Amino acid sequence: MSDASTHHADVAIIGAGPAGMAAASRLAEAGQVPVVFDLAPSPGGQIYRQLTAPQLGEDVMGRDYLRGRRLLERFERARIDYRPGSRVWWAKREGQGTTLGVLADRRSESWQVRRLIIASGAMERGWPFPGWQLPGVMQAGAGQILLKQGALIPDVPPVLAGTGPLLYLLAWQYLRAGCPPRLILDAAPRSRYATMLRRPLSTWHGRHYLLKGLGMLTTLRRAGVKVVHGIEGLRAEGNPHLQAVHYRRAGRWQSVDASMLLTHFGVVPEPQLSRGLGLPFDWHPSQQAFVPHREEASLAAAPGIWLTGDGAGIGGALNAEREGHLAALSILAAKGEPVENERTPLVQARRRELSARALLEALFRVPDGWLAAQPETTLVCRCEAVSLGELDAAMAQGAAGPGQLKAFTRCGMGPCQGRLCGESVTRLLAGHLGTTMNAAGYYQVRPPLHSITLGELADSAAPPAP
Amino acid sequence: MFKRLDNAAPAAMVTIWLEGQPHSVPATLSAAAAVLWLVGATGYRDHAAGGHRAPLCMMGVCHDCLITIDGQPNRQGCLVPVAEGMRLERQRRPA
Repeated sequence: MSDASTHHADVAIIGAGPAGMAAASRLAEAGQVPVVFDLAPSPGGQIYRQLTAPQLGEDVMGRDYLRGRRLLERFERARIDYRPGSRVWWAKREGQGTTLGVLADRRSESWQVRRLIIASGAMERGWPFPGWQLPGVMQAGAGQILLKQGALIPDVPPVLAGTGPLLYLLAWQYLRAGCPPRLILDAAPRSRYATMLRRPLSTWHGRHYLLKGLGMLTTLRRAGVKVVHGIEGLRAEGNPHLQAVHYRRAGRWQSVDASMLLTHFGVVPEPQLSRGLGLPFDWHPSQQAFVPHREEASLAAAPGIWLTGDGAGIGGALNAEREGHLAALSILAAKGEPVENERTPLVQARRRELSARALLEALFRVPDGWLAAQPETTLVCRCEAVSLGELDAAMAQGAAGPGQLKAFTRCGMGPCQGRLCGESVTRLLAGHLGTTMNAAGYYQVRPPLHSITLGELADSAAPPAP
Repeated sequence: MFKRLDNAAPAAMVTIWLEGQPHSVPATLSAAAAVLWLVGATGYRDHAAGGHRAPLCMMGVCHDCLITIDGQPNRQGCLVPVAEGMRLERQRRPA
């Protein structure tokens, strides 16, 4: 499909977080003018959100947030066709490149791009427990977004629950902001820390993360914040708003009054665009997530498509920046530029980072048996309000794949397009069929890759071919 | 539910209308963040299947922030920055 209303670009980058900004800046410094599509109104991604005009300083946000300024300034200086507020809602590999449908200002345009760098980042894992749909329950990432966007903090001490570095970072930031959490419920047992002794090399490579984490934990403890390790179950209760959080530890349920619960069960690659392009994914047992295939050296997933940053596997902001840089170098190398000296230190740093990640993954594993242990009224698909019991019944009636479960129950058919329930559905099927996550499979992702309204479709400058 | 920290950097303020009432809010907020700051999560949205909902992720994934913006229903409130004169209506069943 190519007509007068189709735009063309040699390089398009999707996402303006650390990976996208690094790729775009490096290409621009070599005289290229990449087009960058990003969902947000300003660059930075989730990690450096609002860093163009920070609402809070290092005293509350910590050093790692402000660190992004250097990259942000480089991105803002460079000559880039930067298009904020853009939703890439369909994508198709065609001939020598990719065609994209991009919605901005409520109009859709089609773009034909020769080289595509996907840097669309991560999302928080959907992790069902009774009451996770109640007002008053949010993901920890949402708490951080409100902090970055408007210096908003809870007006009563919240309960934090789950596992992962973000849980403690948010707790620390709330403490620094004068609102220490009432309670931290950590799903990882304390014995987990012995993992470090078994992985000395990873521990060494990850020492900066560990020291940072230890520092935050010490500060929280000194401030009197209570941490309960090894929680086995979680339940939120209240109507029309959260009133109490129940948690199980050592087989016994306990309760705490709360009007705000922030949960975190890790981050996973945001899959829509890569899956929509038909790129293959595999279950990564250590990351406990589906990650797309790519070639390790070039980060290419297919001819003309590079996958970078947390959307290609969780590696954190610094790793994302390096991967964006590497993808840019891969493109420049193909154009005949000498890049080897610049590449080598990036590859080495990336290898050390991935070693450190293996430790973080082991320390913050989510409990694999969690979903099967939830009561049958627990919502798995929030959008269509499909419960665990309904999914169990559909599987008992013979639904043997994610597509069939969707057809039987409407699970995954709502506006989030299965992003919050996809992993759960695969977990249920794998358990029911006694098979692997890969064999159980995942939803078939089709456009629209983002929800769009009929009005937006009607206003499209160039409606796509079906 | 949420309060703005006193030591926040000064932000430009815009006037938005929530169910016909004017409010001054920092221009850096999304529509969903503005609602959470002004009136909290209670009553944010009623789900078609029954029950109450409020934003979960604030980053464009969950769609529990759906809200009517300038007369257009089902907009993702967490992705739309507030703007001067913006009209917001929460999507609730009549009491």
